[in-house]
Amino acid sequence: MMTDRVILVGTIVVAGVYLFATAQIPVLEIGDPLGPKAFPRLLGLGLLIAAGLLFAEMRKDRRAPVPGAARVGSHDWRHLWVIAGVIVWTGAYYAAFERLGYVVATAIYLFALMAWFNRGRWVTNALASVLFCLLSYAMFVKLDVNLPKGILPF
Amino acid sequence: METLTHILNGFAVSLQPINLWYTFIGVFLGTIIGVLPGIGPSAGIALLIPVTYGMNPTSALIMMAGIYYGTKYGGSTTAILINTPGEAASVMTAIDGYQMAKKGRAGAALAISAVGSFIAGTLGVVGLTVFAVPLASMALKFGPAEYFALMFFALTAVSSLGGKSPAKAMISTILGLMIATIGIDLQSGQPRYTMGIPELQDGVGFVIAVVGLFAIAEVFSTMEDITKGVRSEIIRLKGRLWFTRDEWERSVAPILRGGVIGFVIGVLPGAGGTIAAILSYVWEKRLSRHPEEFGKGAIEGVAGPEAANNSDTAGAMVPLLTLGIPGGGATAVLLGAFIMYGIQPGPLLFQNRPDLVWGLVDSMYIGNIMLLILNLPLIGLFVRLLYIPRGILMPLIMAISAIGVYALNGNPVELYIGLLFGIAGYLFRKADIPVAPMVLSLVLGGTMEQSFRQAMTISGGNPGIFVGSAISVTLVALSALSVVLPFILPRLKAWRDGSRDTA
Repeated sequence: MMTDRVILVGTIVVAGVYLFATAQIPVLEIGDPLGPKAFPRLLGLGLLIAAGLLFAEMRKDRRAPVPGAARVGSHDWRHLWVIAGVIVWTGAYYAAFERLGYVVATAIYLFALMAWFNRGRWVTNALASVLFCLLSYAMFVKLDVNLPKGILPF
Repeated sequence: METLTHILNGFAVSLQPINLWYTFIGVFLGTIIGVLPGIGPSAGIALLIPVTYGMNPTSALIMMAGIYYGTKYGGSTTAILINTPGEAASVMTAIDGYQMAKKGRAGAALAISAVGSFIAGTLGVVGLTVFAVPLASMALKFGPAEYFALMFFALTAVSSLGGKSPAKAMISTILGLMIATIGIDLQSGQPRYTMGIPELQDGVGFVIAVVGLFAIAEVFSTMEDITKGVRSEIIRLKGRLWFTRDEWERSVAPILRGGVIGFVIGVLPGAGGTIAAILSYVWEKRLSRHPEEFGKGAIEGVAGPEAANNSDTAGAMVPLLTLGIPGGGATAVLLGAFIMYGIQPGPLLFQNRPDLVWGLVDSMYIGNIMLLILNLPLIGLFVRLLYIPRGILMPLIMAISAIGVYALNGNPVELYIGLLFGIAGYLFRKADIPVAPMVLSLVLGGTMEQSFRQAMTISGGNPGIFVGSAISVTLVALSALSVVLPFILPRLKAWRDGSRDTA
């Protein structure tokens, strides 16, 4: 229920921001009578209607709560922190993607993730991350897919 | 007669060694993607698009279509052996397939899945061959208003069937349309919602969105499962990989019925393979002389749904090829691939590029034969994929996603946009918001706005044009029904149950 409330507020905020941004689009009345704002305005209104429908669904659910509906407990936070960590680590990987190059950046990225999610199997993880990087790099270079070389000479 | 010539020429195209090779690569990768939980056909096709840039479009599309229908074959293996659908549409196969596997009949379940998929998949392609031309001829009468109404119907149908909450599916659909408006407006040349970021001037690439929403989001969800210690037990495949005579006799009718259900559901927008499989399962249970066996290892519960989710793929190709309108997430990605090659699917494609259309359709006959061979004698090879630890597989999917996104334009900013979509997709899953409607509207959004504006220009600003022909009136009425019914039907049911209780 709390999640739905967040979605409801979020949807209304997005619709408001979108409609505001739509109003800021400059209009040149040449050739196109409808202009670039009309369709987005309909979408903004559509999103507000969808929020209204969600509100109606929430009221209906409040009257007839789903039996056995799971509540989000504090134990879920640990998993969210892990995912947050993966997101930050992925952001760092993307930052290093061009600087270090595909092979080096990806090998480090993969090894760290495997070390966390496939614990204790150091040799397998190291082999999997290095072999994957080298083989995929060779394959994509052969397919003319451009991947950054970075610090490596090849 | 002319159509027959085109169909035969299509075989000449699809039987060229290069196209046979790409059909094989497509169905092989499709089976792998189907077997692996964590990556589905949408992400699989999207990730391969950059790799196929240098290829001849016919070969590339043959390969991507192969991935699409190949995943349905692979998905059943995972459903039967680890009780987790490798691909969403195999969800019903998991119920009885896993029970059969627990009773030592995994070989029979896998064999009937493969044979049923082959029969229904081929029946579906026959349906596609038969219905494509009449529908394409009808679509030639469509103007911008009819096209807008058709796309509107596709989106409302996907929203209404898109999950537990129609309102959330509608939010997902409209958010997708909003994202599609980002970039330079093609008619006025005005930048919209770009926030001064140059990378957004061309709009948000759908490949980036699909990779984020499907692949990256799925990896995050699986990583959460690993952290929670959720694991599945793999049942070892032993014994003969074939079914008994009795099992075959019990399966024939469900396969044929499932094939018809799947094809019809596939043609309709919104429903998709999962609903086709559910309908087939419910129908078989109702028709069965042993309904009590369902859920405990009834082979009909494997044969029917597997047939349905395979012929659904051929059915879904009908509106995609003839109207240019996808009915779900994976076909939306295929449409995106067509557009990236500068090919607009639709009625004119049948006139202008019959070699491509019929080469693609005919390759599906060949692909289904290849899939039958791959999924029977070589099934042991694919089963081994299930033993790859998820802790290794998920990071690899993240790296493949990075390659897929970066290879598009060589722009690292797009990697971050993909990550944002991944976070959004992960949060959507947690909040029970379906992502397929967003992908569909993201792909259709640009064309839909253009049709809307063209229609309004033709009518001089009179919205009456959207109800100005029998076709558009029907489509608008169907759209209104699909929006209203999910809200009204539960109330009607509650009211009927209430009045029955008081009686």
